[in-house]
Amino acid sequence: MIEQFADPQHLAEILASTIRIATPVAFAALGGVLSERSGVYNIGLEGMILAGAFGAAAGSYAAGSPAVGLLMGVLCGLVAGALLALLAIRFRVNQLVAGIAINLLLAGLTAFGSRLVFGERAGGARVEGLAPAEIPLLSDLPIVGPAFFAQDPLVYLLVALTISGWWWLFRTGSGLDLRATGENPRAADTAGIAVFRTRYLAVMISGALAAAGGCHLVLSQVYLFSEGMSAGKGFIALAAIILGRWSPVGAILAALLFGFCDTMQLRLQFANPDVPYQVFLIIPYAAALIALVGLVGKSRPPASIGLSYDRETR
Amino acid sequence: MQLNRRLLPGAFAALFLWTGVALGSGIESAAIVMPGSISDNGWNQAGHDGLTKAGEEFGFETAYSENIEQPEHVEALSDYARRGYDLVIGHGGEFQDAVKRVAKRFPDTMFMVNNGLGTERNIANADFYFSQLGYLMGYTAGKMTKSGTVGIIAAQKFKFTNDTVASYKAGAEAARAGTRMLVTWTGDWDDVSKGKEAALNQISQGADVVWPTMDSATLGSMQAVQEKGVYGIGIYRDAIKEWPEILQSAILDVRGNMRAYLKLAAEGKLEGKSYKGDLSNPEAMRIGSYHPDIPADVVAEINSLVEQMKAGSLRPLPY
Repeated sequence: MIEQFADPQHLAEILASTIRIATPVAFAALGGVLSERSGVYNIGLEGMILAGAFGAAAGSYAAGSPAVGLLMGVLCGLVAGALLALLAIRFRVNQLVAGIAINLLLAGLTAFGSRLVFGERAGGARVEGLAPAEIPLLSDLPIVGPAFFAQDPLVYLLVALTISGWWWLFRTGSGLDLRATGENPRAADTAGIAVFRTRYLAVMISGALAAAGGCHLVLSQVYLFSEGMSAGKGFIALAAIILGRWSPVGAILAALLFGFCDTMQLRLQFANPDVPYQVFLIIPYAAALIALVGLVGKSRPPASIGLSYDRETR
Repeated sequence: MQLNRRLLPGAFAALFLWTGVALGSGIESAAIVMPGSISDNGWNQAGHDGLTKAGEEFGFETAYSENIEQPEHVEALSDYARRGYDLVIGHGGEFQDAVKRVAKRFPDTMFMVNNGLGTERNIANADFYFSQLGYLMGYTAGKMTKSGTVGIIAAQKFKFTNDTVASYKAGAEAARAGTRMLVTWTGDWDDVSKGKEAALNQISQGADVVWPTMDSATLGSMQAVQEKGVYGIGIYRDAIKEWPEILQSAILDVRGNMRAYLKLAAEGKLEGKSYKGDLSNPEAMRIGSYHPDIPADVVAEINSLVEQMKAGSLRPLPY
């Protein structure tokens, strides 16, 4: 295991694999941070990744252009987010129940849609993907070059969104408005902040971000849609949000940690064929648990998360 | 999808006929319960197609349930038995326990477990002699590897995958002594991106022949094979038609194997015993097309191995 880190070639591969596995989770976690900071649980991330993946595949398949796919994917996420917002904010459905309902709904809808769009070839239809974009000079650096600077455009977008998201959330007035909405919506309302509009926008954008993670799966990783391809990434993202203490940067670092564990588990299996493979499969989840219990003992979620806001009640 | 609405009228018709149907006469309806999606390009799609096509050919009603998780097995199987289906199929070895429980309560219904282990009066099994194909694929991989390292990717450990991995190893060793074998268990049949990462990892560790044996996740692995320019091995169908990197395919023809026993069922001859497909029945099990890179003498060697297996003089383990 140690010798893998000593060999620059292997180290570069481990880093690149970590980033590939982490990116969809990171997008979803970023979306989740936004939604939860505004006071709305987004358990529907898993379904929204799937919606984004389906939209991306269908768009790219129909138009033959990955850009159209990306647009379609993000649009699907936006609609899914709007549905969750409508249920959770307008109709005050329990947010956890609404999220689970969205997951079930989207799992079924995307499966149905893929048989409709791709027909007989469902699951086998290749679509156009995004070409990796190498950053000149930087991509020639040893080890970190291929891992960080020869990635696909969505990874750069993720980095840009994370940093700007962090700056917006903690350093601007409207970011403060969003956080106030999640902490104490009544006080925010009294102060003239448009609580409902803020929450609607946050949840919708959250859906779009999770869907961008799904777009990465399709347009940058496997170039096809298959049913249930989100495979639990949305739930890992929920853990990443908590581990990242509801901060965009923290959530992305947590996603990277999970991606690293997943990469290592695929590699460690060869070196230790006698150890049951299930032990390696639980590494990412065990890491999440240990990190949650040990490191973030004092983490504090937004005070009003999960509570629907009603102006008429006291 | 538990109740297939289009088939509901048929189900009711079958219910009325139920009293008249007993073991021994030909079946008039059959249902299959599957763990995954019918468009997975693999095991479940084969199960669905196998039953539907045989139903059309031999003239009996069919119905299916897809994406049935373990806790729902008993309920899904009983539901079909209760509604009067003459033959109820559990699609996968994981249905064995549930079928055993349900079959006791419905003695007049015939049950089948595809890839099952254990028969009773009204429980039949159908599986394959997996090791024959595993050995042949391993032999091909061992002959064609330049690095001396070959890989296999599987989802979960059970008889099918255990036998396949073991015989793949044996075959590779027979072709080239000291072949290094990489085995990855992904724990997921359908996680396409994980399938791809698993293959990329094997390739980066030196594997130049990779055999993915999952369902949808195989698509991801094959993309890694394609991108990195190494060889792959196919499963279930002649995969070289889809991916030109495929050396040879292990065609476990679930459709053909099912057709064989469904024909017996339609004639009223299906019994509670094990129907094991092997190379001597090409409808159920065979190898696919050879990659043009494989030298003629290797092709001849592999063909002679096939003949030896058919004749019974070569019996790769585990059986």
